[in-house]
Amino acid sequence: MAAKKLSKEKVGEVLQELSKFRLITPVKSDDVVLFREIADPKEAFLEYGNSTVPPKKVVFPQTETLFRFTIGNPELREKNVEEEGTTVIFGLRPCDARAMSIVDKLFSWDYEDPYYLKRRELTTLVGMTCVQPPSINCFCTSLQGSPFGKDGLDVLLVDMGDHFLFQPLTEKGARMEETLASYLEDASPGDVERASSMEEEAKGKIVRSIDPQGIAEKLPSLWEDPLWKRVSDACLGCGICTFLCPTCHCFDMQDEVERGEGRRARMWDSCMFCEYTLHASGHNPRPTRKERTRNRISHKYSYYPKRFDVIACVGCGRCISLCPVNIDILEILEQVVEA
Amino acid sequence: MVDVSKLRETAREIISREDVRELIGYRAGTYGFRARPAFVYDPGEVDQLIFNPACVNNLATYITLEEKLPVPRGQEPDLRKVAVMVKGCDSRALVQQMAENAYERDRILVIGIPCTGVVDMDKVQARFPDVLGPGEISLEGDKFVLIFDGRREEIPKEELLADKCKRCRFPTPLVYDVLLDEEVAPFATDDYSDVEALESRSQDEKWAYWEEKFSRCIRCYSCRNVCPMCYCNDCILDRLRPQWIRRSVDISENTAFHIARAYHLAGRCIQCGECQRVCPVEIPLMELNRKLYKDVEELYDFEPGVKVDAPPLLSSYRPDDPEDFIL
Repeated sequence: MAAKKLSKEKVGEVLQELSKFRLITPVKSDDVVLFREIADPKEAFLEYGNSTVPPKKVVFPQTETLFRFTIGNPELREKNVEEEGTTVIFGLRPCDARAMSIVDKLFSWDYEDPYYLKRRELTTLVGMTCVQPPSINCFCTSLQGSPFGKDGLDVLLVDMGDHFLFQPLTEKGARMEETLASYLEDASPGDVERASSMEEEAKGKIVRSIDPQGIAEKLPSLWEDPLWKRVSDACLGCGICTFLCPTCHCFDMQDEVERGEGRRARMWDSCMFCEYTLHASGHNPRPTRKERTRNRISHKYSYYPKRFDVIACVGCGRCISLCPVNIDILEILEQVVEA
Repeated sequence: MVDVSKLRETAREIISREDVRELIGYRAGTYGFRARPAFVYDPGEVDQLIFNPACVNNLATYITLEEKLPVPRGQEPDLRKVAVMVKGCDSRALVQQMAENAYERDRILVIGIPCTGVVDMDKVQARFPDVLGPGEISLEGDKFVLIFDGRREEIPKEELLADKCKRCRFPTPLVYDVLLDEEVAPFATDDYSDVEALESRSQDEKWAYWEEKFSRCIRCYSCRNVCPMCYCNDCILDRLRPQWIRRSVDISENTAFHIARAYHLAGRCIQCGECQRVCPVEIPLMELNRKLYKDVEELYDFEPGVKVDAPPLLSSYRPDDPEDFIL
């Protein structure tokens, strides 16, 4: 598939064209950047670093109905995800798209999650490169990612300054190219070459890093190491690091019933919460924040790579930047390496 | 400014005491200008301790956040004191916790820090986003001085100062065992003009305003967890039976959560501002807290977190308490 050129002036028209689908872009709510469905292309806020809440919530909503029921009636009325319709996420960052490709492995593993997978099937991801790292705490390049990364994306828009290089990457991307054909021009041959030198430049601007080699194997041997107490002493036990993580995917399911009408809903859960894995007996195998922090790190850097051959962290840096007490996953990993 | 060698020397003496289990202070963060809580168990660890205007965290939270696991058979509970460093605002949390009988006064050892104001780290971050650090912040006169990467920048105090410090009436701790520096005279007043601006809006305007804010809430509960006054063993937010507030995240449940959170702090919030500082989606929680604070002050002439022996507002009664707002 050949790369095309998309002039930045035409982005408004492109968004207008795409609004025939369920169109989701970064938007500004006060000073906070979030992904939301937009009705008017003017709502899109594309001059951003990265969003506070990752776009995983589009394919894995924080709360979703699985089915509805009426008390006394055995019939379950299942949610039809298809009704949500074709969805386009426009302008997400490569790390967040790569996160979805990582989470796909879990939701299509021993049990195929129909809700998640249907939504993924319906969704086309149009990503935008990071010319500048959105945060000082970005470290995607340590984890096989790149500010110009293509994993998980259907189209990559390479920011060339006054225009984008439009690179379709999948079948969905090719269909997107067809949809937008009238707005695209042929790319100049120099652009593709320039894009790869720009990628090297962008990678060079990322200042934080970790060498993940060997961490997956080492973590289980540090189960009782005093480092876990040390790194979690200041932890407040809130859900910021997990809820804002683009790869965290734990969920809970609860029935909500009112006047005989109910639904089974699933909602994000967090291994940092005190009632996570709390047994009915009152016993909790992870009774304190020490065990919970150990679980968060081990899940991402040991359990997940052992099962799926990929670390469940993309180096977006959100958990570092937004932690109220500056618990820093890179510092923890360094201590793991040194222990 | 607190002299760091004096701070460390004091900490060394305290942590060396047999009746002190741990000392909670501040140390440098991992990037930029950040500082973070430090937990010291051993005299050898005191040299990491610092205090500067980046030390924003209210460490009083950790006194009530402690996880108390059942003591194994044959072992005695560790009843040694916890030493904690507090600024003026933070000390009010200790006062209110003790006024509510959360713990006995002799369980803690308070290291008071007369404070001349802390920075709003978001403002620092916005100005210097590319500083990997470690960067240092200090206050010299009416300027914050930032030192990083061999550079020195002076920024007028007003431009980086945290909002809560702009109306701070208690810069010197109200409770302490050791005071690390001379008392700081109050340098600001609070006229509640922000609350009055909110009050003057119409109901529809207020609803539209809060609906946008609450719709962003992801219910990470960082505002609850960081709050030194949110220390119930069994919080209604975690309850499943009855489930007062559902875990589902939508505007209805989010609103219920925020109303419950604010009301549970009426007559208790001491305005340390930590909830608003930590909120990842920038919900201005202090506007709600300050509205209730002002109401409580006007209706009951009560200010929380000032006197240890003052009975908590919600557990005291006077026959002439106003009641005309009760429907």
